Amino acid sequence: MTTAPRKTVPGAVGTGGDSHRTPAAAPGTGGTGKPRRPRSYEALTGYLFVGPAVILFCVMGLYTVGYGFALSFATWNGFTPNWTWVGLDNYADLLWRSPVYAPRVRHAALNTLWVMIASPALTVAVSFPLAVLLNRVRRLQSVLRSVYFLPYVTSGVAVFFAWQYILQPDGAINYLLDSVGLGSLSQPQGWLGNPSTAMPTMIAVTVWGHVPVAMLLYLTGLQGIDRSVLEAAELDGAGWWRTNASVIWPLVRPITAIVMLLNLRESLQGFQTFLVMTNGGPGDHTNVLGLEAYRLAFLKNLAPTLGLASALGWILFAAALVLALINLRALRSKT
Amino acid sequence: MTSISVKARPGASDDTRARTRRRIARAVVGVLLALYGLVSVYPFLWMVSAAFKDQIEVVRGGHLIPRNPTFETLVDTWNELHFFDFFLNSLLVTLYTVVLTLVIYAAAGYAFAVLRFPGRGLLQKLFVSLLFVPGITVMLPIVLLEDRMGILGTHFGLVLPFVNGGAPLSILLMTGAFLAVPLELRDSARVDGASELRIFTSVYLPLARPALITVGLLTAIPTWNEFLLTRVSLNDPSTYTLPLGLQTLSAENVPHYNNLMAGALIVVIPVIILFLSLQRYFVNGLVGAVKG
Repeated sequence: MTTAPRKTVPGAVGTGGDSHRTPAAAPGTGGTGKPRRPRSYEALTGYLFVGPAVILFCVMGLYTVGYGFALSFATWNGFTPNWTWVGLDNYADLLWRSPVYAPRVRHAALNTLWVMIASPALTVAVSFPLAVLLNRVRRLQSVLRSVYFLPYVTSGVAVFFAWQYILQPDGAINYLLDSVGLGSLSQPQGWLGNPSTAMPTMIAVTVWGHVPVAMLLYLTGLQGIDRSVLEAAELDGAGWWRTNASVIWPLVRPITAIVMLLNLRESLQGFQTFLVMTNGGPGDHTNVLGLEAYRLAFLKNLAPTLGLASALGWILFAAALVLALINLRALRSKT
Repeated sequence: MTSISVKARPGASDDTRARTRRRIARAVVGVLLALYGLVSVYPFLWMVSAAFKDQIEVVRGGHLIPRNPTFETLVDTWNELHFFDFFLNSLLVTLYTVVLTLVIYAAAGYAFAVLRFPGRGLLQKLFVSLLFVPGITVMLPIVLLEDRMGILGTHFGLVLPFVNGGAPLSILLMTGAFLAVPLELRDSARVDGASELRIFTSVYLPLARPALITVGLLTAIPTWNEFLLTRVSLNDPSTYTLPLGLQTLSAENVPHYNNLMAGALIVVIPVIILFLSLQRYFVNGLVGAVKG
């Protein structure tokens, strides 16, 4: 095919709202000829095809984000007709100024920090070896993969209640410990009732829920590794440990970065498990920032805390953004 | 290249030793994999176990295998605790969400992958950026907005934010799938005079079936399990979805764990069946997304 008459009607574009500032003017499509059809027709069809998505995005996405951002600078209880603008007061109150909220936020931040350190690290520590082992297995691999993926599929209220049930004082975890002769480790108050075991237990449940996706990502990465690289390592006399530690691990570093990023974000902002299983207890020992924001937004009936809730949400967002940037930078410098 | 599989070994004794070592290694791997499999399914085992126990046996804890297995708990939960209604509500909400997601984002993915129009790159970036907005900051505005629109507390009011929440991933997956379709197919269809809609529905959609299934599953699973927004938006118990109905069971003073676990089983079984029946496409679709 010959080159297409592409530069025919440059002025006819701009059918939609904004003008024709096409970013990076659509790379590719080099040699392929584009028969007939004028570009304005194609642009119009394009807008029609993305239209529904854009409308929904504007209402449910842009509007709500803008609204939430504005609200974070105001005081409001959700019932009175008007907001009271307070500028940055909400942020200051949450971070250091208010004697009521600042200590709670600080305490919740500390709990969240524990989750943010332990959950990604443990998720990687479990899912990478699991993927390496699973990758060696020929038979039953797909069966095992499905079994390992079940926690993701069912992750939600139902399975959190199941965890709550087996973590009880006379639940299945204590029963298991007793029956394998580790009865001294069992928790007579239940794993979530004891302030010193509640947080580690919640972290374990979180990791249990995060391993499936991480394991699948690692498995994909492992199956994409060129066999000749591994054979070269074997020729050089590298054993199994050595190959995994010095060849495979560095090769899957981008995947580790993705797993860490997803996990950090979830640890920082997620709180559903905590809401359902402990509701922050015992005695705020498992209160995390997301849960605190949720409480400020939805559980303070007439108190004017909606602005505070919004501000806390944006603090979480900013923290996630900073972490994402650090993560990306760390990834770039090592590859 | 030469084959590098096993280095030649001098003595036969070395050979057998290597073989035993390999056999031990394989056994260790097997045991470790089985152990994690057990960790994965452990809560389910007890969920199933408790769902078949009666009121008295469940508080005694202990045995995984119920002494007097009974269907009564499941039947009771299903009938008396309105689980049939919750189930229908969940089914409707999930179905609407999945259908709308597929229709809207398949079209958007097609536009982004195939059509050239001004503002395309900018729009694409906007959609992806939505991925980083924390759920909790938009939850409150969504509730307030829907209250004003008069759809708060309805299933439609759940479906809209669910569909929008899935936008970044769905668009990413669909665009990737459509980009993989050879351009020649489209061009020849155009030469034959097919309309853009026709090309989309009869050339591109059939070829993107694995991606459609993946997007469908990735939408259906979280929608089925969704709890937070549902909890703050629904007030009328007749509109409750399964997770919310389940929560009403646990909110009683002393939760009856056999009923609670039977309810949990009712929530979990449909997604497990859905996942297992489609998992072949799902894993491939996901893998394709990671690579692409």
